[in-house]
Amino acid sequence: MFFHIVLERNMQLHPRHFGRDLRDKLVSKLMKDVEGTCSGRHGFIVAITGIESVGKGLIRDGTGFVTFPVKYQCVVFRPFKGEILEAVVSMVNKMGFFAEAGPVQIFVSNHLIPDDMEFQSGDVPNYTTSDGSVKIQKDSEVRLKIIGTRVDATEIFCIGTIKDDFLGVISDPGATS
Amino acid sequence: MSLTADSPVHSPSTSSEDFAAFLDAELDSASDASPHPVGEEEEIEEEAEAEKDDEGDDTNDYDLDFERIKRCKVEILENLSEVETTTSQGVDIQISGASSDKDVCVHPGVIGGLCIRCGLKMDDESGVAFSYIHKNLRLANDEIARLRDKDLKNLLRHKKLYLVLDLDHTLLNSSRFLDITIEEGYLKGSRDDLPDALKSSLYRLDSMHMMTKLRPFVHTFLNEASNLFEMYIYTMGERAYALQMAKLLDPGDVYFNSRVIAQGDCTQRHQKGLDIVLGQESAVLILDDTEAVWGKHKENLILMERYHFFASSCHQFGFSSKSLSELKTDESESDGALATVLKVLQRIHNSFFDTEHSASLVDRDVRQVLKIVKKEVLKGCKVVFTRVFPTQFQGENHHLWKMAEQLGATCSTELDPSVTHVVSLDAGTEKSRWAVQMGKFLVHPRWIEAANYLWKKQPEESYSVSNSKDH
Ligand SMILES: [Zn+2]
Repeated sequence: MFFHIVLERNMQLHPRHFGRDLRDKLVSKLMKDVEGTCSGRHGFIVAITGIESVGKGLIRDGTGFVTFPVKYQCVVFRPFKGEILEAVVSMVNKMGFFAEAGPVQIFVSNHLIPDDMEFQSGDVPNYTTSDGSVKIQKDSEVRLKIIGTRVDATEIFCIGTIKDDFLGVISDPGATS
Repeated sequence: MSLTADSPVHSPSTSSEDFAAFLDAELDSASDASPHPVGEEEEIEEEAEAEKDDEGDDTNDYDLDFERIKRCKVEILENLSEVETTTSQGVDIQISGASSDKDVCVHPGVIGGLCIRCGLKMDDESGVAFSYIHKNLRLANDEIARLRDKDLKNLLRHKKLYLVLDLDHTLLNSSRFLDITIEEGYLKGSRDDLPDALKSSLYRLDSMHMMTKLRPFVHTFLNEASNLFEMYIYTMGERAYALQMAKLLDPGDVYFNSRVIAQGDCTQRHQKGLDIVLGQESAVLILDDTEAVWGKHKENLILMERYHFFASSCHQFGFSSKSLSELKTDESESDGALATVLKVLQRIHNSFFDTEHSASLVDRDVRQVLKIVKKEVLKGCKVVFTRVFPTQFQGENHHLWKMAEQLGATCSTELDPSVTHVVSLDAGTEKSRWAVQMGKFLVHPRWIEAANYLWKKQPEESYSVSNSKDH
């Protein structure tokens, strides 16, 4: 799920950046520092959308660096248990398959793949129904439901299932249109 | 600068954040077909703790109240589902947490700290690690058995077996830059100056400070074997090296997929085990040049003659002769070890899937087939050893004696007309002279070793025995 929220961060800046474009420097450094990172609490910071405020700077003893508290608006992405997500399959093996929804990695074990889908090894490993009508392989797009999440400081890992109504393949890269 | 260390100042009063926390708890409890009391409580406690950090804020009291309400709600939900279970099932009150689920999850495996089946947070370190599939994957023994069983049936339907391949000295040979001798120096020169055969099989891996030479015939071998087997790479080398080698051998990533097992994956030090191969042992063949590492799986092993291309490799194994690279030559492409072993693999595969066979496919054992095929090699030979074992040594315990028997020969200590070969290191012994007189073959012990590697009886005249007095 995506959220638009306000976060705050203390930014340290070297005195050589002080000048007319100090604010720009702060913002670009902020983007570089936080976009694409993950915090256990909020999930992935996808993009900064605006700056709420830049507080008064505080000189750090001894170094000359100045700390500015910056409040910024950003879009964060955080999966929840029970959420339905669309993801791209990144690897298929006899254990199940891995899929990615942006920066989030999701594993769907073969316990949670419908029983009528069988693993097929070979050049392009895949799960296929006995009549061959549905196939999951690398780069397939699937709709899955999150049943467990583990959020660490740097990554979010999920367990998903496609063993339920309206879940499974949305597009099949093997079927050329 | 890590994000968590100098983390942004949390401002729990921000409305969006409360919303996130609220959703988290709501979704967790609402979506839960099978409530997980442990996981839930952890989650909520975290939230509450984070909230406590900021004191003196007016909104904080509200937050804490809010937390309390949330917690009550969760508890009520749990109670509700519990009541439902007991009334609907009526009998088993013990499995309170399982609610409408048919069965309690046995947690067959854990990946990234989550159960692969129910998604519950798991922190115990039980089960076998399958780090080559995913860095944080562990499977319980029952699950491994289930996967193997399922996979074998699938594989047999495709008329395939498993093949585990060693890298060094079996499929290729590597040498560090600094071990390259002067005579091998031409290898480091410009690619255009290399002989044609080397252009496509010699690789310079600057980032690893080494060179790798693929064994002749390896590409054909892999291509042909992939039709008969699901293949694994299994090396005592480090993971980075193994993956690099896999890339050289399998640039299209069609043979090995994620089945590359390296040193760090083994469950026992200095041993290679099939415990981390997701294949039934009765359907696995192994190609390796080192027997000792396969302590528990010698019956699955086809021993390979070592491929020494570089000088450093020869020295490492105590050969003082010139290496293939120094002699600017190589193993034969059409007649080398990999071509030979491919024919053996094909023979075993054929015999395994032979329709004449009485046992059903799943009950067949490739180890038995391997033994039978091997026994064909010296079938009909009756061998007597002389001056091969140390005096006082029990002949039947010697590895050559055992090897000859595995190859289908009969071994004896007595000379009689049925003896076909006398194996000796010295043409001057009584038994050696008897062989010559009676018109029996007199051969060097290498004749047996060669048959063992080549899976074929070798021409006796190439393994003649010299008289020790000649030296
Ligand atoms: Zn479980």
